[in-house]
Amino acid sequence: MAGTVIGEGLSIEGDVTSDEEVVVQGNLRGKLTSSDAVSIGPNSVVQADIAGQSVSIAGQVVGDVTAPERVDIQAGGRLVGDVKAARFTIADGASFKGAVDMEV
Amino acid sequence: MSQSSVIGAGTIVRGSVEGDGALEIFGRVEGDVSMSGDVVVGEGGAVRGNVSGEKISVQGAVQGDLRAADAVLLERGAKVVGDLSAPRIGIANGALVRGTVRTEGEPALSPNKRAAAAVLKPAVFAAKPVAKAEPKYAPPPALEDGDDDDSGDDERQAVMLPAPRAREREAERRPPPPILPSLGKGAKAKKKK
Repeated sequence: MAGTVIGEGLSIEGDVTSDEEVVVQGNLRGKLTSSDAVSIGPNSVVQADIAGQSVSIAGQVVGDVTAPERVDIQAGGRLVGDVKAARFTIADGASFKGAVDMEV
Repeated sequence: MSQSSVIGAGTIVRGSVEGDGALEIFGRVEGDVSMSGDVVVGEGGAVRGNVSGEKISVQGAVQGDLRAADAVLLERGAKVVGDLSAPRIGIANGALVRGTVRTEGEPALSPNKRAAAAVLKPAVFAAKPVAKAEPKYAPPPALEDGDDDDSGDDERQAVMLPAPRAREREAERRPPPPILPSLGKGAKAKKKK
């Protein structure tokens, strides 16, 4: 079970800090930081910088994404912002606008 | 249908949280929580801000006002510093509250308030008023049972004192007649002599 679920009907305006898995299916505006995995669900709208161990994006995200492990933009996902991660994938059907830093 | 949300034990939210559906808080929220559905502040959960929802159930800590459209329920272990306001309010034994409690929102206010007050008083002070009431109605037995023998004796004396005094007064009143006759006898004797 995911530690924290921001469900579909939920809107958070502010900072979210966690040391457990965070699943966002609702709206978030502010900042999202987790030392575990972060998952942005298909119908979610996030306007926030996201930092997590790994970040998976299937919804709409505006903000910079940082992950020491990996960042994945799933099909249907949309990211506007810079990505900093060791591994980065953009699935077919995903949209992305921003710079990529893979710490080469 | 909106899915229910969970703020886990390891999560801190600084800002406002609002939306449809249910929300369970096991972590910390520093900001207002406003839901159209039920809100649960679980054990270990902490909210610093006002909470509103259809039904609010608290097992954790809340520093702020609780306002529910249906009910506010404070379970054992809940710590609330703030005002409670809902048509139905339940405060369980072992829950701590500091603030004003108002049951409101239903048509017939005065009976409900009385009923709620009647329900709340025993719930909040359940053990204490009974314990206090017993000594008031029957002080000596309760004190004898609860306190040391000395204090119990003091109480007994305090209770018994009026009676001895009355007896003493009666005794004081009684002796004079015997004395007077004796004086009278002496006087008569002196007179005779």
